[in-house]
Amino acid sequence: MDLERFRERFGDKVKIDKNILTLADKKDLIRVVKFVSKYFDVLYMLIVVHRPPKFELNYIFSRYQDQEIIQIKVEISDKENIASISNVFKSAEWEEREAYDMFGIVFRDHPDLRRILLPEDWPGHPMRKDFVVTEEIKHWTGLDLKF
Amino acid sequence: MKVDDAVPNEFSYPGLGEIFITNTRKFINKVLSWGRANSLWPLTFGTSCCAIEMMVYGATKVDADRLGNLFIGDSPRQADMIFVSGTITKKMARRLLTVYQQMPAPKYVVAVGACNISGGLFWDSYNVIDGIDRIMPVDVYIPGCPPRPEQFLDAVKVLQKLINENKTRGGVYGPREI
Ligand code: SF4
Repeated sequence: MDLERFRERFGDKVKIDKNILTLADKKDLIRVVKFVSKYFDVLYMLIVVHRPPKFELNYIFSRYQDQEIIQIKVEISDKENIASISNVFKSAEWEEREAYDMFGIVFRDHPDLRRILLPEDWPGHPMRKDFVVTEEIKHWTGLDLKF
Repeated sequence: MKVDDAVPNEFSYPGLGEIFITNTRKFINKVLSWGRANSLWPLTFGTSCCAIEMMVYGATKVDADRLGNLFIGDSPRQADMIFVSGTITKKMARRLLTVYQQMPAPKYVVAVGACNISGGLFWDSYNVIDGIDRIMPVDVYIPGCPPRPEQFLDAVKVLQKLINENKTRGGVYGPREI
């Protein structure tokens, strides 16, 4: 993959190191992803890391014709939200729902931002560093049962 | 008539009719339990690794059919018992309960594996039910992670014994308050 294209197009807005593009500003995300979509077919992973007080979002793209992958890294503060890329890469929809479910990141313009793995009325977002698994949460069933 | 008045102050022998009715009732109950114990059709609720052992249990080597435990229709409407085999997450708990409620009344639950007894590996997880006896009445537990297929055979034997002795929890008269 010819990374020079990115350098020409975006200048010093992205920092390029091997195949990792680090964005300086989260506002450029959609533009960069649109550009990536010309050369890459699949978003195959969205990895979120919580380093308080920041979230690090890693979008990893690949393509069918060869083994190339490319990674886009964005950092946001853990109170901010970020634009959804689901109208560029459709498969981002579920990845973003999972990120929302586990970390509570809100994706703007997402068509269907619901929880995906946990029950709908689950309290909190478990993968955040400030989340504590208490006894109450361990024993919560969400079912009102007496037998 | 008040309840106090009903207490007899004379001893009376049971009449012939009473003896007949009691014995008939006992006999019918025996026949019913015999029938129930020997045709336990399981509903296979496999959600993870324990399900693999359950499949072996249903296959030829550990032959489940000889106990009348036929793996036929995988529908809750035709099932007499349920093998809950595999980790039950909190999201799945509701689905499990829905399935359980659809089963017709004499229904028995077998909790398979450490996960369903106490949470197993995931005992301190935020999203796993630690022991399904917290959401439904369980008759037989099979320990192990995963249990051997022979243990399923043993569990069914135990369940049959319980049914014959009329000691099941969800048993003949239906589940208590679910
Ligand atoms: S008890 Fe062990 S084998 Fe069974 S579902 Fe749990 S982790 Fe898997």
